Amino acid sequence: MRSQHLALAVLALPLASLAFAEPAFADGKLAVKVGRIITLSGPDIANGMILIENGRITAIGADVKLPWDAVVIDQPKMVAFPGMVEAHSARGMDRANENIDVAPFLNVRDSIDPVGFYFEDALRWGVTTINVQQGHNCVIGAQGMIVKPVGITIEDMLVKPDGGLKLSAAPKQGYSPASQQQALRGAFTDLRLYLEEIVRDKQQGGDRARREALFQGRDLEGEKAKGKAMAGSAWKVAGLEVIPRGEIDEKQEPLLALVEGKLGAFIYCSRPMDVARALEIARANGFLARTTLVCSTTCWKAVDAIVDAGVPVILEGPLVQIERDPIDGKETETFVPKVFADKKVRFALSSNNTTTESLWFQAATAVGLGLSREQALKSITSVPAEILGLQKRLGSLEVGKDGNVLLFSGDPLSVTSFVEHVIVEGVHAYDRSKDIRVKAVLQGKLPPGTSAADAKGEKAPMSQAKPHDDTGTTPTDEPEPKKKD
Amino acid sequence: MSPKTLIQVALGLCLAQAAAFGQGAKQETSDDWSVFADQVFTSEGEVFQNALVRVQDGKIVAITPGASAGSSDSSLRAAAMTAGMIDLSARIDLGFGSVEQGREITPNARVADALDLFSEEWTRVAKGGVTTVLANPSDYNVIGGLGLALKTAGPRSVLQRTVKADAVLRGAIGTQPSLRNHPARGSPSDIYSRRPTTRMGVEWEWRKAMYDAAAARGDKSRSYPGCEQVQVALDGKLPLCIQAWSTQDIRTAVFLKEEIEREKLGTPRLIIDAAAEAWKEPQLLVRSKAMVVLPPFPLQGRTNEGAFMAWETAKLLHELGVPVALSSHGAGDPESGLDRQAGHAMRGGLPFEAALAAVTLTPARMIGIEDRVGSIAVGKDADLVLWSGVPFELTSRVVGVLVDGRVVLDPRPAKDSAAAK
Repeated sequence: MRSQHLALAVLALPLASLAFAEPAFADGKLAVKVGRIITLSGPDIANGMILIENGRITAIGADVKLPWDAVVIDQPKMVAFPGMVEAHSARGMDRANENIDVAPFLNVRDSIDPVGFYFEDALRWGVTTINVQQGHNCVIGAQGMIVKPVGITIEDMLVKPDGGLKLSAAPKQGYSPASQQQALRGAFTDLRLYLEEIVRDKQQGGDRARREALFQGRDLEGEKAKGKAMAGSAWKVAGLEVIPRGEIDEKQEPLLALVEGKLGAFIYCSRPMDVARALEIARANGFLARTTLVCSTTCWKAVDAIVDAGVPVILEGPLVQIERDPIDGKETETFVPKVFADKKVRFALSSNNTTTESLWFQAATAVGLGLSREQALKSITSVPAEILGLQKRLGSLEVGKDGNVLLFSGDPLSVTSFVEHVIVEGVHAYDRSKDIRVKAVLQGKLPPGTSAADAKGEKAPMSQAKPHDDTGTTPTDEPEPKKKD
Repeated sequence: MSPKTLIQVALGLCLAQAAAFGQGAKQETSDDWSVFADQVFTSEGEVFQNALVRVQDGKIVAITPGASAGSSDSSLRAAAMTAGMIDLSARIDLGFGSVEQGREITPNARVADALDLFSEEWTRVAKGGVTTVLANPSDYNVIGGLGLALKTAGPRSVLQRTVKADAVLRGAIGTQPSLRNHPARGSPSDIYSRRPTTRMGVEWEWRKAMYDAAAARGDKSRSYPGCEQVQVALDGKLPLCIQAWSTQDIRTAVFLKEEIEREKLGTPRLIIDAAAEAWKEPQLLVRSKAMVVLPPFPLQGRTNEGAFMAWETAKLLHELGVPVALSSHGAGDPESGLDRQAGHAMRGGLPFEAALAAVTLTPARMIGIEDRVGSIAVGKDADLVLWSGVPFELTSRVVGVLVDGRVVLDPRPAKDSAAAK
């Protein structure tokens, strides 16, 4: 009996660590003392402290008592800011797109490269949570996964496994908008036909679904042995409750979860015309309430349809659209986030942009172009957190939230500020003074003897330099019998 | 033609046009303005608080610190004001059409003849706060010709927009001028069947042009078309503006200058354009007294041309006293304009005052137009940029632009706008 318990415990241990990745992130107390804390949940705190225990914030304020056993990061000149949240990104994957048109049974977890350069960069830019989604070139893509850019295994990085399903209303390569839409509708028709067929089969005494499930090695015990009627859907298959959930084909199951509103959807729209088609699919299949549109720049023109649908958006591409009138050649500029802000659409900014890979840069630029500072800061923290359903864990610095803290050298939106330290779930994950790559970008890789200090005079290596052979000329005063050609 | 006579001609044309079309629909004359800002950065070391700048007939006529903003139809206001920015490597609307490729050395080709002032790019650049640019021939041959300093807005006439005709003699070093060339096998098959085909050949063309021009002063048989322009450049009266991205190319440019001086061919003034790798051997630039124009900052350091530009380059050169200007290479994208480049340089450690100089007064001095543009001073052209906050911060933007006293971008809300537009 006892040995059985022990065996169970031994089995349970690795499972627990798989699910929560706690052991690596929960070892102790970290106190962060800074000159200013921007909480984004209330007023800023001057000379405050953030106490993080077991990866969560347990105290924050100007008069927090420092526990004797806490590790202290004391930076009186720095500014603390909540970790930024990337609501949708296909970076960090080894090949972001799948060839199969409809592939909701795939999961990006099998494609994330934990040591990818992107995750290192994300940390450098202050992004502490990323929803990794497959690329835009799909009809129905893989399931996403929410990760932090820390750790060398997927399990270490995991924040939440169900990042939502990726769909695209923009034509996949080689498709027209019509064939794309047909493929989207077709996927849900196929689901319905499949469900109707296994119900009919079961009602006639067959066991096709069960045999298929056993063949796939699926779990038919416990909850999965129970049949359930279709929940929260725009259309229903009568009699579905006769099918144990474990018997539903694993290739169809994620779509069923989507239709039942148990999974979120991220639908890509590359043009305004895509928006109506994206919303049509979401409405027809009952997952509008859990839909987020991933919009490229021009989609602001469909803002009224987005307002009607009440869905949030993630803004990709340039923040400003420059349009040229075909008749008089005059250019007009539209600052996209402002359009959505004025219509009260919730929007998150994205780092997927040609001029930058940083959310910080996007937010600062948006303020410059006319967005309020408050709204710009929300669009890289609390709004994406909400889109991911993690508003209780991310998006601001409050007691109970994840210990994701950035320390900036100055105001977070100033051009001269840098992310100096990053703390992810209570772990000090990044220190700029040790970042050789940022040093290389700032200072270059100085060859020996040519550093700034040398150039200032003590050694002055170049002024004593001997002839440089690559031009055949000499910078010295030696007379040289040179003939012109 | 000297710049002075050119201006006179331009003014003459202006008046003639005003007389002829003065009653026309479009208001093209400049206006008088009272421009107020909480902070006025003059580029000459002063920062005036709550200053009023009076603009009349396209010139700055008075600066009054400690004033209050007017409320008349002709008053503008903003949080900050700087002089109009100057981009020495704007590269607007240039392509194969801007350079004569019939020969490798075309010093007497004028880019002025190739400019399209009807392109919307001018307006876009002007609205970004760049009021003067140096237009150069593209670098598809060795010595491309004469660059032109001109305003980015105003009448659509090159002559009227000119700040300085023949501002520089433009050329390139490295592989770009030889990029498409190939040796002729048998008979030449196309225009590219020619020299040079290597960077050695490019360098040879440079030196031949220099030595021949110097020799032609005494020996007419050594003369070639355009050699008088090269002579002016050798005398140091026309800056030599050479594109050189990598250390290798920067070395070649500097050694060329030093060889000319050593061989007593002349004393050229050298501007190295797109000097991305200037940080690698800064002492070389100090020693040769070369001036530097930096290309736009690449996000990860590596430029498309394969050079590596460190973000501290501008700071390093500034500390060593090397004259350094920033440039945007066109920047049709408002997110990478010249104001952004100044911000990037500050991110690399360049102090604000130096960043401001690097986009205003320093480039003006490099090509000798500081008597007209480059700072806010009485008597200078009324090229002003109004900002919504501290200039060059990402969170600030250009909200108003005046070029020669004309409003190009109106800082006032649209409904109140009574500007000449």
